[in-house]
Amino acid sequence: MDDLILKKVVKFITPCIQLFGIYIIMYGHISPGGGFAGGTIIASSLVLQHITFGKNDMHFIFRKEMALKLISFSLILYSLIKGYSFFGGQFHLPHPPVGVPGNLLSGGFILPLNILIGLTVSSTFYIIFTLFSNE
Amino acid sequence: MELITSFPLAEIFILFISAFLMPFFKKDKHIKIISISFLLIAFILSVFTLMFVFQNGPFYYAAGHIDTILGIQLYIGPVEALLSFVFLFVFILVVWFSFSTIDAEIQENRIKLFYIMVNLLAASILGIIFTNDIFNGYVFIEVAALTSCGIVVVKETQENIKAALKYLIMSTIGSGLILMGIAFIYAFTGHLNIELIHQVVLEDHETFQKSLLITVALFTAGLGVKSAMFPLHTWLPDAHSSAPTASSALLSAIVLKAFAFFLIKILYRMIGFDLVNQFSILTIILILGCCGMIFGSLSAIFQKNIKRLIAYSSIAQMGYVFFGIGLGSPFGAAIAVYHMVGHAVTKSALFMCSGLMIEETGHKTIDRYKGLGHEMPITFALFTLGAFSMIGIPILPGFISKWYLSLECIHLDKLLLIFVVLSSSLLNAVYYFPILINGFFGIENLQDKEYRSKKVPVKKTIPIAILILAMILIGALSKNILDFISPEFGL
Repeated sequence: MDDLILKKVVKFITPCIQLFGIYIIMYGHISPGGGFAGGTIIASSLVLQHITFGKNDMHFIFRKEMALKLISFSLILYSLIKGYSFFGGQFHLPHPPVGVPGNLLSGGFILPLNILIGLTVSSTFYIIFTLFSNE
Repeated sequence: MELITSFPLAEIFILFISAFLMPFFKKDKHIKIISISFLLIAFILSVFTLMFVFQNGPFYYAAGHIDTILGIQLYIGPVEALLSFVFLFVFILVVWFSFSTIDAEIQENRIKLFYIMVNLLAASILGIIFTNDIFNGYVFIEVAALTSCGIVVVKETQENIKAALKYLIMSTIGSGLILMGIAFIYAFTGHLNIELIHQVVLEDHETFQKSLLITVALFTAGLGVKSAMFPLHTWLPDAHSSAPTASSALLSAIVLKAFAFFLIKILYRMIGFDLVNQFSILTIILILGCCGMIFGSLSAIFQKNIKRLIAYSSIAQMGYVFFGIGLGSPFGAAIAVYHMVGHAVTKSALFMCSGLMIEETGHKTIDRYKGLGHEMPITFALFTLGAFSMIGIPILPGFISKWYLSLECIHLDKLLLIFVVLSSSLLNAVYYFPILINGFFGIENLQDKEYRSKKVPVKKTIPIAILILAMILIGALSKNILDFISPEFGL
């Protein structure tokens, strides 16, 4: 879409949306929110950019193939971290610690897992969007 | 000891991881190697599990640090160990077979997707088999439904997309019914673990008799859609006949069985034999099983397309499984499981043979296969053996399950049902024998057919030959297999 106002506004608003999404992901374990909610918010900013600036600009920033690899990478890492918990009970490995209200770096694996979910969800939503946008 | 008990979870785990490793590789060759090597590792683990269960009996495995009431539990008994072993065996052989045929069947950029789907499907099927937690089972059922639609639609033709959409819609309705059943049972028992639900149900089933009946009906209908119970089977012929050969082999041999096995779990482990016999639901399953056996075969007689014929034969064979479940006796359920094992091996071999025939002759209709036994003798001989098992020639597994089903009918004093088994068996012969006889005999068919003129390379037939060999073994070892799985059902 070739519209100056739209482009200026989107340029201004995209970082705000992304920052908000990152906030929701990061604080998922000690406040409402989490990987899925934050991931969709980040994906909405990506979709907004794609609509405004078109496929070619977006191709420069975030390609579909890259998104697929990012999803696979996050899922593998997710399953490896989660696998510790799954197999840990049987082998009596130490229990991951629980979260402390207000402390960002607490809650054991929940923060990294939330980040990985956020990456997966945002990339997946963006890929679903590109499947339907036929430019 | 502890190491071996975590093998079942490890099988599911590494198969899921292997699926997501594939996008990092570009060449199809590497993807194929990853797919089969991880399946092989899972198979080896399942062999160890089977041996462990054989020696030490069934065991539970709690996933994670949480205890049973909140956490997810796996239960690995003889049936679970056997089914996971057989299914992974079939998976490996079908994937091996697909290496040589898949390139011709689907577009090049879809091969990676196909193998991702296959490994995800394998993982979710194992999950359905092992899980002792119905909601966990539901999650795996959803993954299996999506991936099995995926391996149908991967060949992008018009009929494939149509069939896959039909399959997707019907199996989504099935999932919805299952979820509703889970919600019901969670509402009045407060548990999701099958054993804990069983205890609550045993204690005070009088208070929620009607709700329990509704729950069982929801589960039966939901899982019936997915495992092609008779009136809900309409998606199956389209999906199985249009899919690539490897996909139809997997779908027909494995995916249907996993859902039927989950139904056995729900009926006999969650509700229990005594209680479920008080409901009329078993009679309905029995009648639908009989209808499936007869009408599946009757529809198969009129099919021209070989893959459609085999797909309708699958409906008839699933009828036997539901027949076994519906008898309502422990031994009936054991035969249902045995039939699943035998049919998984046989039907995958038949689909792969038909795939080779279609590839070599270029025709899908059976009237073009006259004299084919001369042109491609090995493939056709393997097809013949598989068809013999379907018809029920002694020592092959098809015969043995029919034999024991008839014996069980006599034992339960339901003599009329023997005629259903017998007539279904004869109907099987009606549609398989013409293909075989026209293929091998009939002088007019053999004119201008050259012996071995359409010979298939040996490496393509090795997986089928192994499957047929396994089929004969399953038939020969039927007593040992039945002895192994019967304690599970309280015999």
